[in-house]
Amino acid sequence: MTVEAGSVGERSMLERSPMARLPDRALRWILTALSFGILLLLVYFFGKLSLESVDVFQHQGILSFVFSNDWNPSKSQFGGLALLFGSVATALIALVIGVPIAVATAVFIVELCPSRLRSPLTILVELLAAVPSVVYGLWGVFFLIPRLRPFEQWAADTFSFLPWVGGPVAGPSYFIAGLILAIMIIPVVSAISREVISTVPTDHKEAALALGATRWEMIRTAILPYSRSGISGAAMLGLGRALGETIAVTLVIGNAAVIGHQIFDQGYSLAAVIANEFGEASAVPLYSSALFACGLLLFIVTLVVNGLARYIVSLGDIERRVERARRSERKSAAAPGGAA
Amino acid sequence: MKFTKQAGALSLTAAAALVIVACGGSSSGSASTINGSGSTFAAPIYQQWGATTKTDDSLTVNYQGVGSGQGISELTSGTVDFAGSDPPMTAEEMVAASKKSVPLHFPTALGAITISYNVSGVATGLKLDGATLAQIFLGKVSTWNDPAIAAQNPGVTLPSNPITVVHRSDSSGTTKGFTGYLTAVDSNWSSQVGKGKTVKWPTGTGAKGNDGVAAAVKQTPNSVGYVEQAYALQNKFTFASVKNAAGTYVEPTLASTTAAAEGTTVPADLRFTISNPSNPAAYPITSQTFVVAYTDACKAGYTEQVAKGIKTFLTYGLGAGQDALAQLNYAKLPADINSKATAQLSKLVCNGKAL
Amino acid sequence: MSTGILPPISARRRRTDRLMSGLFYAATGIALVPLLLIIGYLIKEGASQFSAAFFTTDPTGNFAGDIGGIRSAVLGTIEMVAIATLISVPIGIAVAIWLVEYGKRSKPAAIIRYLIDVMTGVPSVVFGLFIYVSLVETGIGGSGFAAWKGSVAISLLMLPIVARSSEVVLELVPNGLRESALALGAPRWRVIATVVLPTALPGLITGSLLAVARGAGETAPLLFTVQAAMGINFNLSERMNSLPLEIFNDVQSSNPAVVTRAWGAALTLVLLVLAITLLARIVAGRSRLKP
Repeated sequence: MTVEAGSVGERSMLERSPMARLPDRALRWILTALSFGILLLLVYFFGKLSLESVDVFQHQGILSFVFSNDWNPSKSQFGGLALLFGSVATALIALVIGVPIAVATAVFIVELCPSRLRSPLTILVELLAAVPSVVYGLWGVFFLIPRLRPFEQWAADTFSFLPWVGGPVAGPSYFIAGLILAIMIIPVVSAISREVISTVPTDHKEAALALGATRWEMIRTAILPYSRSGISGAAMLGLGRALGETIAVTLVIGNAAVIGHQIFDQGYSLAAVIANEFGEASAVPLYSSALFACGLLLFIVTLVVNGLARYIVSLGDIERRVERARRSERKSAAAPGGAA
Repeated sequence: MKFTKQAGALSLTAAAALVIVACGGSSSGSASTINGSGSTFAAPIYQQWGATTKTDDSLTVNYQGVGSGQGISELTSGTVDFAGSDPPMTAEEMVAASKKSVPLHFPTALGAITISYNVSGVATGLKLDGATLAQIFLGKVSTWNDPAIAAQNPGVTLPSNPITVVHRSDSSGTTKGFTGYLTAVDSNWSSQVGKGKTVKWPTGTGAKGNDGVAAAVKQTPNSVGYVEQAYALQNKFTFASVKNAAGTYVEPTLASTTAAAEGTTVPADLRFTISNPSNPAAYPITSQTFVVAYTDACKAGYTEQVAKGIKTFLTYGLGAGQDALAQLNYAKLPADINSKATAQLSKLVCNGKAL
Repeated sequence: MSTGILPPISARRRRTDRLMSGLFYAATGIALVPLLLIIGYLIKEGASQFSAAFFTTDPTGNFAGDIGGIRSAVLGTIEMVAIATLISVPIGIAVAIWLVEYGKRSKPAAIIRYLIDVMTGVPSVVFGLFIYVSLVETGIGGSGFAAWKGSVAISLLMLPIVARSSEVVLELVPNGLRESALALGAPRWRVIATVVLPTALPGLITGSLLAVARGAGETAPLLFTVQAAMGINFNLSERMNSLPLEIFNDVQSSNPAVVTRAWGAALTLVLLVLAITLLARIVAGRSRLKP
């Protein structure tokens, strides 16, 4: 196509004819439009949720809805703090358990495992994503809760010196919900981490090994820093999944609108309350408005949490840059001496 | 490489299976369909009735259990053809729905809530009254040999172990029925907890679904919980006899459940609620369930075919369908309520014309 | 590691290395334990259901006697998820391309990226309710519950997963490839279509598959947008049966046979997603351009 373009009079030889540039422009516009479609969609979504939530905010006040711990729909009291707490607590437990395992799995699959095991292992880990959330929940109820209970009690008794541990163990709990969420986020976090890790340039890895690094040192100095932002992106997806998971959490968290004293207590979450109570609420305008407000609150929490996480990641970037600069300074300062 | 081959074979098999599945389908023809949603409690009934009307009247009934409240709001917004609801619609809800056409309530079946227990040494026949039940679920009666329980069970050796209370953790009509009963019989309960599909439980652990509660009671020694009658009878759980308003201890059988509705005052629009029945043969923790449909479905925006479908469905349900209830472990309507409901069928019209 | 050139690795470093490798092994093992437990549990509870009749008959609604199979649920899930995939995968990849090729580090791109992350945190039930109030209650496209509305709700769940994972992968296509193609005079769209996308294809497929897996198993959005039906139905503007709702409904039954059907349906759903995963991997493997 460029050959034709070169023969046209006024344009330079390398410039394309307007016709030839059309597909490029069109593509650019379409892609941009689709991307901003997401913005529009979420603005509409936000507006719709806000509109549906107005009732309960007028009834209760926004602050009281968010910060009072008193969820009692039969008395028209809608204080959602316990729900908010449950959402955040379970998502944190899920991240703490799930992300290290997922990243380690990714590193193992890409770097450590024999190559013929790579493909089957990949599929096996991804298979975790194939299990529907209702099945995770039911498995949690009928398998995990009864079997883990003695271990939980043992852990609660043994580690009672830790904060948020100790006391009698309830069957359904923050911990069980967090554990199931951890399992559910592993495939997503692991898959993306794997893609990222597998593209670390061989040069970097070989350079590290050539400098005498052990396998682990190579992973620590070449792979993890290079894939950092990709992994944090993966963790963000995992966090989103954990905050928003509905059915599985509803089945295993106990659905008690209280703030538990420890991780083995029963609780509730914003997503769970909607799934669990909407069937009853939809005939009562104030009640259903409160549930929409829970959705709105969760949306805002996700906005804030994601914003915070971005900020932290960006801080890390700067620190790393400074550190790297210092190190290279030190190295260049040391190099002449070493050479001599 | 080897793996890819195996994978290929596997997925081919899977694909072949799908093709078989897809080709097995025959189109359902032009038979009519009605869609309903609401009460989860009644879902097995309407699915069972639908199975029969499909073969006998080529009428397909799709029913989704989502909760009574949502069923009613879906009927009001016109997204379903009929609603299933355990409590009758409130006056407010009636006003909202009547903009389209006045909704009619057809009682379809009765169910009870049983008290399942796991107490060492008491295999069957535990007796409890409403006040004691409320005290147990409030956490005030906390051991099995508490005098309040012992007095009702002379000659039974009750252990001194603490009582573990198990309640539903999911939003449930069963919880509403149970807490509704406790609210009716105990003033402490009504002031401290109240009734609802989810309440703030003063004590106990939550479990999901009838099966969850049943499993928890089975697994936990010295525990007590409440389970829907159909579930308890089907799976042969222990159940307590509960003292009714007439002072007799009654077991939750299908007959004693039907008896609970006998003697209940039924208003002309059939919007009745069973509450602490006075019949000496009645099991006290009993509730009813309704199908709610518009009087004039055509005026409310549905086709005549749908209007006819609803009538066919209810005609079967109130007739031969009542005998099908026993195998599902639901109790049938007493004769007088059934005849009132059947008479109400003639009110169903399409644009004012009889169907 | 020829010790002749490099100083020997100290015992401490070697110990750390061994310890860390051990941890990576262990973590992978731990990740697979729940999978084995769940699959084992599903097989134990549901495999007994697998028979020709199970896959070739529809649920009847009968309580006793012939309760029927899950044909309509399998077909409904395939149909609805396929449509959701047709909506979400092209849009998701398009958004990812925009982010990587055009938006890059700009402010608008940062905002879109942020919004996508936020979108992954919206609970499926809220998307379900959102579609319920905007499409179902308003009666758009025929009254009430409809399969296509369920597909839209599912695609809302899938979209951020596709977009975010695709972006990560597209980001990794070496800039050298793009630049050399551009330097050869190829227009941007050709570079994207013939260089960027094929290079990233395996990763794009992985991301899309994760999204499909997620979409196929969701219950809550379907409950508010489609609701269950008994029989087979290919009409997208009516109710349609699906595996997640079949499981959700059956597992509450007091009839043990119906509960077992729920586990059979769950096992089927897992196998179905597995089959899709394998198929797509094979396709990706065949079409991959060797760099």
